[in-house]
Amino acid sequence: MAQKGVGRRDLRARKLQVYLKNNWQLYALLVIPIAFVIIFKYAAYPGMRIAFMNYKPAKGFDGSPWVGLETFEKVFKDKSFHTALRNSLVFNFLDLIVGFPVPIILALLLNELRFDRYKKVSQTILYLPHFLSWPIIASVMLTLFKPETGLVNVALMNLGIIDKGIPFLTEKWHWAVSYLLIGVWQNMGWGSIIYLAAITGIDGQLYEAATIDGAGRWRKIWNVTLPCIRGTMVTLLIMNLGRVMGSNFERLDAFGNVQVKDFQYQLAIYIYEKGLAGGNFSRATAVGLFQSLVGLILVLASDRVAKKLGEDGLL
Amino acid sequence: MKKTLTLLLALVMVLTMIAAANAEVPEWKPFEQNVTITVPVYDRSKVGYPAVDDNYWTQYIQKEFGDKYNITVKYVAIPRGDVMTKYSLLIAGEETPTIMMEYDYPKVAQWATDGAMQTIDLEAFAAVAPTYYGKMVENNQLGYTDINGETYFVLSERPYYNTTYTYATFVRMDWLRAVGYDHVPKSYEEQVDAINKIIAAGLTDQAPLGLGIPTSAYVQNFAYRDIPVDEAEWAQHSSLGTASLSWEPTKKLLKRLNSEYHMGWYSSEFDLEKDSKGAATDQAQTDFINGKTYRYGGYMSANVSWLTAFFENNPNAELAIESNYAVVDGEVVPDAQLRADNPFGMIVGFSSYATEDQLKAAWMLMEWMIQPENLFVLENGVEGVTYTMGENGLPVVVGDYTGTEMLNHNMNIDMTCLVHASKVVGTIEDSIAAITPQGLPQDFYQALLDNYNELAEIAAKGNAYSDPVFAVAIESESEYSASLLSLYQEAFAKLVKCDPAEFDALYEQLSQDYLDAGYQEIIDERLNAYEAGQTTKLPQR
Repeated sequence: MAQKGVGRRDLRARKLQVYLKNNWQLYALLVIPIAFVIIFKYAAYPGMRIAFMNYKPAKGFDGSPWVGLETFEKVFKDKSFHTALRNSLVFNFLDLIVGFPVPIILALLLNELRFDRYKKVSQTILYLPHFLSWPIIASVMLTLFKPETGLVNVALMNLGIIDKGIPFLTEKWHWAVSYLLIGVWQNMGWGSIIYLAAITGIDGQLYEAATIDGAGRWRKIWNVTLPCIRGTMVTLLIMNLGRVMGSNFERLDAFGNVQVKDFQYQLAIYIYEKGLAGGNFSRATAVGLFQSLVGLILVLASDRVAKKLGEDGLL
Repeated sequence: MKKTLTLLLALVMVLTMIAAANAEVPEWKPFEQNVTITVPVYDRSKVGYPAVDDNYWTQYIQKEFGDKYNITVKYVAIPRGDVMTKYSLLIAGEETPTIMMEYDYPKVAQWATDGAMQTIDLEAFAAVAPTYYGKMVENNQLGYTDINGETYFVLSERPYYNTTYTYATFVRMDWLRAVGYDHVPKSYEEQVDAINKIIAAGLTDQAPLGLGIPTSAYVQNFAYRDIPVDEAEWAQHSSLGTASLSWEPTKKLLKRLNSEYHMGWYSSEFDLEKDSKGAATDQAQTDFINGKTYRYGGYMSANVSWLTAFFENNPNAELAIESNYAVVDGEVVPDAQLRADNPFGMIVGFSSYATEDQLKAAWMLMEWMIQPENLFVLENGVEGVTYTMGENGLPVVVGDYTGTEMLNHNMNIDMTCLVHASKVVGTIEDSIAAITPQGLPQDFYQALLDNYNELAEIAAKGNAYSDPVFAVAIESESEYSASLLSLYQEAFAKLVKCDPAEFDALYEQLSQDYLDAGYQEIIDERLNAYEAGQTTKLPQR
């Protein structure tokens, strides 16, 4: 009996050996991304302790005193932190509400195109904005939408449609709408790639069956395409929820001007102004840590909800 | 005969200077093992100039100084508009440059108190760099070397610091002539009249003056201060570190800008000019070059690219230098007052990580650079290529030379600032001749000299002074200055644009917000330091 057990173990070990011998290259390749994650993500974790220290770069970790939760207390008592937090949450939720469905709709539309070359050209044009940096987008938009000398306002005024320029980017409510829509415009093409990939993976027989049952295009989208990409949608939604506490400095800074500070003042700006620019790395880290924790909680919670609703979830 | 005599005299002077300097240079032995030092150099993102940290002149220093003493001199670029962030990152990454230098005292004070700099022994410094130290003594700078009772800094020279003669503001003289002026406005009344007439005459199709959101905390309110200014108020508010919103002179300045805005002097979109990294200035410069605006100013040197570009675009235009009295109205501005420079240029400290050898090597570089023959080459370049010898025996820089040996911004000033803040040649007249822009249809030598004389006259009245220098670090300043700058920018735009009837109330409200956001803490701390005798004093009138 015992011999049998040993023999089986030997066999298993030999099988593993053979397997590794045949496939070691794949594992070697995997080492690269794992090392990357360890070095660039986890290796930085010990640095997070500066959120609990009065960290002065020149004094280093050893020379800077521990202050416990003092930095967090200071941050939470700071009025401008509350403004930044409120703005971040509101704008990120709005970004999600406005921005999440658009790539799906776009993917469905692109999928319906039958003329291949036209489809490819449109796809490329739609992806392009993703590759432009925010400062470039912002300067183009500013040239287009300045209240008095912007091309759009000049055109509208010359056509007699408006008397006075619309402050697209210089009045906070107008700015909020422009900011969100420009965000959607920049991201929708890129965001649609994953959905298009998911749609391509749908079994053609399902469409054939639907056609035989007399389904039109709308029906097929509603009853075949959408249910088949639901899993992808849920996964991406959960991932996007994790970013609700996030904040993109480049985008905010590029679109910022003194007239819209009430809305533009979000966590990334707070971290930059009150943390990095003032050399207060402890504060910057504390806020960053807080953002990540809330983001993590949101992801876990939404994953739970998704699983309760019968979806696969993320984890 | 006279010419030969002058030439001979100049030659004798130069030779004597070189001989005197050479006599003092200590004999250094090369280091046994190679020593690497890093030296900061401003990156002003100027188009058409070589990379600031690797060019003909960095290589020249390596060859002429570094290789001789077995020292590797590395330059590290510091973005001019974001000095503190760049230094913070370098310090955090334990890559603090061996030499750390800045023109503003609060910045170096912060580095010193944060532990980024090491304390130094001035005697040891004097032993390695006797010429440099001698200059400090000569310029009465030893009172600025300490912070919190410890010695951290040595200071570079700022020639003629009481007059900011290297900076000049140009105005469109041809426009002034078109509206009936044969001189530049000498009072605020004349200025208002002239600019309003320029607008009425339609000489430009846009707002005639450039304005942008302030990019630094420096508020140009010297002219709006009481004469003499109250010393305690001066100690509290006069600063490059934090804008003085809530102070009366700032209110007067902004109120005047508000009234000018409502006369149509500035674009209603001025607040959209990007509020950081000096982009605002770029727009103002572009508008001036394109012949759209009345006024633009900058530092003078043999090659001022924006002036060259201006005359290329507007060959028939005529420029003049604005009078320093153009703001005086006898009431709000009783007389011209100026921000004199500090009696020092760069405040130079040394990294806390620097070893004894690195420290010595850095001091050797400073001593080497301050020698007239070395400084001469660094500021003028190669004879026959970047400069020619003028008839008076003084160098004339070839303003438009763009080859390999091209001098960087303002005749390599961002390298030579280690020893002085501006190029000096012989007398003040010679110095002005050396910074007079070359190759333009107009010669501005006389105008620049007149400007200097006007500045000297204001200084002689006791109306030119600088900001206080604190012997202790103002902790709250480093905590709040970045966020206060952003608040000030916002307030600036609101106050300049608001309905004049609402100005006073709005100023009160925004000032209160500003005080609550940290400014009160700063001015309290400054006042304490002032009362404890930890600041410089106003010069005697």
